[in-house]
Amino acid sequence: MKIEGEHLFNGSREEVWALVRDPEVLASLLPGTTDLKQLSESEYEGSITLRIGPVTGAFSGKIIVEDENPPESCSLVAEGEGKPGFFKGTGDVELLEQDGGTLMKYGGEIQIGGKLAGVGQRLIDMTSKSMIKQGMKSLDKVLAERTGKE
Amino acid sequence: MARLIGKPLKRNEDPRLLTGQALFVDDVELPGMLHAAFLRSDYAHARLKGIDVSAALEREGVVAVYTAEDMGDDWAPGPPLVIPPPTIEEVTFNTRTQVPLVKEKVRHAGEPLAVVIAESRYIAEDALDDIVVDLEPLPAVVDIERALDADAALVHDDLESNLAAHLVQTKGGYQSAREQADLIIKRRIVMDRGIAGAMENRGIVAYWDNKQQYLTVWDTTQSPIPIRNGLAGMFGLSEHQVRVIAPFVGGGFGPKIMMFYPEEVVLTWATLKLALPIKWIEDRRENFYATTQERGQVHEVEMALTEDGRILGLKDDFIHDSGAYDPYGLTIPLNTQCHVLGPYDIPNFSSELHVVFTNKTLTTPVRGAGRPHGVFVVERLLDIAARELGIDPSEIRRRNYLPNDVFPYDNVIIDQAFANFIIDSGDYLPAMEKALDMIGYKDFIENEQPRLRAEGRRVGIGVVSFIETTGVGPYEGARVTIESSGDVSVATGVGTQGQGHFTSFAQVVAEHLGVKVSDVHMVTGDTAQFHWGTGTFASRGAVVAANAMNAASSIVRKKILELASELLDAPEDELEIEDGEVRVADVPRMSISLGELAQKANPLRGAVEPGTEPGLEATAYFGPNYGATAFGTHAMIVEVDPETMNVEIRRYVVVEDCGTVLNPLILDGQVHGGVAHGIGNAFYEQLFFDDNGQLLNASFADYLIPTSAEVPTIEVGHTVTPSPLNPLGSKGAGEAGAIPVPALMAQAIENAIGEAGFEILESPMSPLKLFNLYYGDKEQ
Repeated sequence: MKIEGEHLFNGSREEVWALVRDPEVLASLLPGTTDLKQLSESEYEGSITLRIGPVTGAFSGKIIVEDENPPESCSLVAEGEGKPGFFKGTGDVELLEQDGGTLMKYGGEIQIGGKLAGVGQRLIDMTSKSMIKQGMKSLDKVLAERTGKE
Repeated sequence: MARLIGKPLKRNEDPRLLTGQALFVDDVELPGMLHAAFLRSDYAHARLKGIDVSAALEREGVVAVYTAEDMGDDWAPGPPLVIPPPTIEEVTFNTRTQVPLVKEKVRHAGEPLAVVIAESRYIAEDALDDIVVDLEPLPAVVDIERALDADAALVHDDLESNLAAHLVQTKGGYQSAREQADLIIKRRIVMDRGIAGAMENRGIVAYWDNKQQYLTVWDTTQSPIPIRNGLAGMFGLSEHQVRVIAPFVGGGFGPKIMMFYPEEVVLTWATLKLALPIKWIEDRRENFYATTQERGQVHEVEMALTEDGRILGLKDDFIHDSGAYDPYGLTIPLNTQCHVLGPYDIPNFSSELHVVFTNKTLTTPVRGAGRPHGVFVVERLLDIAARELGIDPSEIRRRNYLPNDVFPYDNVIIDQAFANFIIDSGDYLPAMEKALDMIGYKDFIENEQPRLRAEGRRVGIGVVSFIETTGVGPYEGARVTIESSGDVSVATGVGTQGQGHFTSFAQVVAEHLGVKVSDVHMVTGDTAQFHWGTGTFASRGAVVAANAMNAASSIVRKKILELASELLDAPEDELEIEDGEVRVADVPRMSISLGELAQKANPLRGAVEPGTEPGLEATAYFGPNYGATAFGTHAMIVEVDPETMNVEIRRYVVVEDCGTVLNPLILDGQVHGGVAHGIGNAFYEQLFFDDNGQLLNASFADYLIPTSAEVPTIEVGHTVTPSPLNPLGSKGAGEAGAIPVPALMAQAIENAIGEAGFEILESPMSPLKLFNLYYGDKEQ
């Protein structure tokens, strides 16, 4: 499954960059994320409980940030597995200056397997879109708190 | 003799089934019974690097957790179920059979890695979560047309490629036929199918009683006797120490004849170790991964014809998806090759087959077993030829039918039994004419269709013919006994999965023995009751088992008459058997009941004369030289909604010729079920895999099975062309309903669309695919 999209932040590239590289913030992004730990400069580990249609359960996994070029771009590798199956994703994030704010462009590909694929397939697309939307919203909120801009 | 064969009697077994009194595997409850759950691979292709079950073993209520390593020397890939064909030259066949638990490499999603045995299924399922598996994912082989590419991953590392089998079959000379042809039709045809979707999933209860040294296995198998023999062999037991019971089974349709499933081996191995009964019932999601399927074929085909629509030759090169293993040999693709020839006179034929391994669940026969693929190919080509030549679809078939005087007709190529594909009998034209008449073909074409078209409605008609090879050997048997009550007990080796065996077989027996059908008590599928047989498959029960019933009850009848003649002091030819007694014709008071006769045949004192046997009992077997070929014509009227491309079936007509009909009520039911299955195969049911071999629609929410809303009223007619190969003259009918539906639906939809160039070359279709096919090139 391919994921692609963009989001305009009301803040500078440096502010947005600092935001997404903060594990505390990352953990708050997605509901159901627990125990997010930073293993190294670029590696995080944690678990997330997901509910996709009839499929629900916890995944444990990690996120690795690669090819960092602050505050412009990075690549992400995420993988997780749990009772509902597994997922493995790669993505690219780009931050561009636009209209006094920052435009985040993201794109990537996710492989899923097991029950998640067999039973949840139909709802994956919708669920992932709504999760991304929710995540961006949380980022906006934290960003606003930090910068004081509305 | 009262004519009971051919009567539309209600089924003996239905009161038990309808009131919930029939025993299914999941009804088996034994003291101390444990429950098994299997840990299955989420990956389609992966190397097993390690597996740690220690946490699972600590969970309260878990009795044991086993992996391949624990099985030691008992771990072995399953024996092939069907040996590859020895009769044709230069056949390649690489046997790679399924394993009980994955040892080194996962080859399809859902393959079992470990089994947990616990006090309840809940505990067992929870304990699956405690197992830590280290799997290294490998690239998966999914697309059958790329499976033989040089850079494709290997499903079996010890083979040079993913080629499972390769063979070429020919009849006459296609090339010279092609040179003489006025018209060559060349197409690429893609066929896919799906799961069987039986209402009851698989289930096993296995119990080794250590004190009795006796193994009992309740199994949803279609083939209890070979399972008994195989398990005894695998675990060093005498066949008399093993009893396999296939009780009532909620639908077989083919996948339940597959053996040995990993679960059958693992549960038996585990009960031999634990000496406690263990139950495993497959859940619906497991069924989508762990029960065999029937899937894709890609055909590159060519038909050579004369300008008046006569087939000169046909060339069909195709690839068949075997899935991860190939225990079932070449049964499905050989059926496809044979059924491409159909009921037609095709003097020149050539077919090259490649079977490929893929990282998907293995394929074995599902109702139709490759026949729908073959029928789809030839019928589609005939439809396209008819259009090109301006001939009516029914007329082009009429011109190509094998004439009546050619039977038995040798098609030269070999069939799934590895013998020459011989059609025993046939009379194709009356079946088609009856179908055309029933559906009102002429009136529809001339009046109704033009009228409805004028209103802007897209209505269409289709008519296709098919054959179905049925009733193959090697043999089945039956034991018929008159009990001292006068009732009749019968045992046979075949299992029953809803076919009405308890009635149609009883009709054959009751006809000979002058008793009520309801007084014939049938036992099927219990190896303790009958020792010999193969199973219920290939539409063979009403041919092979029923003729064994026929033979055994004829012998019992002879015994009855001999003894009654002696006791009543009347010549045998003056005796009649009616209403459970033997009477001297015209002297009703001179009679003796069958129960009394049975007692006299089994005296407690006195002497049984040398050379005679006690009781009124006989065991007999029947094995045909080759299979009887049924045939028929299906016709349908559809309406297509041009906005949504949804298809409504407005009429459905079946004319089925399966030789002598044992019970027309049961036959019609089987035809109805078959057509429903066929509608699913033609328009709803398809398994979708992604590039990693992940099944994307493993539930009935996403995998559509036709419901009563999609299945129309089915009108069934019959013609009767008895088979010369067996005394009853019967042919099989269990699969016939499903076989021609994809071909028929394609033709009817094309006719409804009625536009040049609109061709359906793929099955199954769906409203979405139809929409894309139709609107793909058009401005929307």
